[in-house]
Amino acid sequence: MSADGPLQDAFAHDRLIEAVALRRDREAFAQLFSHYAPRLKAWLIKSGAPPAAAEDFAQDAMLTVWRKADLFDARKARAATWIFTIARNRRLDMLRRDARPLPMPEIALAETESLRPDDILSASQDAERIRDALSRLKPDQVEVLRLAFFLDSPHSEIARRLDLPLGTVKSRIRNAMIKLRLILEPSEEAPR
Amino acid sequence: MNPNRNPSEERLLAYAAGSLSPPEAVVVAAHLALRPANDAWVHRLQAVGGEFLEEAAPVALTADALSHAMALIETDAGEARPPAPLNDMPELPEPLRRYALGPWRWIGPGIRARDVHAPRDGACRVILLKIDPGRETPRHTHGGVELTCVLSGSYATETERFDVGDLEEADTDVLHQPRVVSDIPCLCVVALDGEIQLDGWLGRLMQPFVRL
Repeated sequence: MSADGPLQDAFAHDRLIEAVALRRDREAFAQLFSHYAPRLKAWLIKSGAPPAAAEDFAQDAMLTVWRKADLFDARKARAATWIFTIARNRRLDMLRRDARPLPMPEIALAETESLRPDDILSASQDAERIRDALSRLKPDQVEVLRLAFFLDSPHSEIARRLDLPLGTVKSRIRNAMIKLRLILEPSEEAPR
Repeated sequence: MNPNRNPSEERLLAYAAGSLSPPEAVVVAAHLALRPANDAWVHRLQAVGGEFLEEAAPVALTADALSHAMALIETDAGEARPPAPLNDMPELPEPLRRYALGPWRWIGPGIRARDVHAPRDGACRVILLKIDPGRETPRHTHGGVELTCVLSGSYATETERFDVGDLEEADTDVLHQPRVVSDIPCLCVVALDGEIQLDGWLGRLMQPFVRL
């Protein structure tokens, strides 16, 4: 994220997806691709995929962005969240170790999740709160959360990479999640 | 919120990240359709994932990646696969409606099961279990049951009651004999893990029902 204006950047990406949706704007798509494809590739490489497979994944996810752009609603999710969710669904599909050629309905499509009416905060406010919340976690908590998002088999892989006992990793993730919930949902019941 | 009737934070995180095994993800998706507060939390976790994606250090693509992408969208004919047809159980929550279902099979008195043709993960798979009022499920340890979500009716264990939307996670090897306490049948979606093969599991189910 550039230092001069992360929020402006995020909004610019929202506008680009909308341009793809409204006008099939190829220049807008190229800009989105240039920003997000290298990040999607980085994600897959971090999760252990070979570079070529990681690049295929990025291409595939971005093609889905092109196809589904008209389902994007900037009021419900900002660009990064929406693209993350698309990639998350593709990744879940890839993790499936089931070779049956059955029609496999996708699980929890991005658009149904992002169109829920009960989102109270606007996506941009939410993004700001999430950045703030992450800045209030300890660095080692942010680190395990990041790894939990990017690795395929989070706990054991995180333990291996950080050279920590599995129990330590589990309790660190749990504590990070409890703190995150306290910051983001302070009015909710006590965290679990 | 009772921790024992909700997914753990770790499981919700894995679901949001897309690293949960597909059969478990199917059961969690059903739970989230019935528990909007947890669904909203998962949605927020996805925004955390978006934040991590945004701040990830980019890895350069190959030189022709952009031109390849532009060529792909020019020739793209959209989704190759039409959505799967709806199945025959309109009472199921939306995330389960497009999975094909196997035939109901008699498991024991007042107990029926049918396969949900959702992606497997090794031998881990998804089934629907329907148990009549007052029946006890066969006594079992949680070795073979990974996750259960109640879709209609209620059941109770020795210490807890599970109503519509509640999710029970496999935790220990404690011997466990839930009983249906609703006056309608209890319908559950269950992810069964790979340690017990279907035949063996069915065999266990068909053992005489012994009260604890």
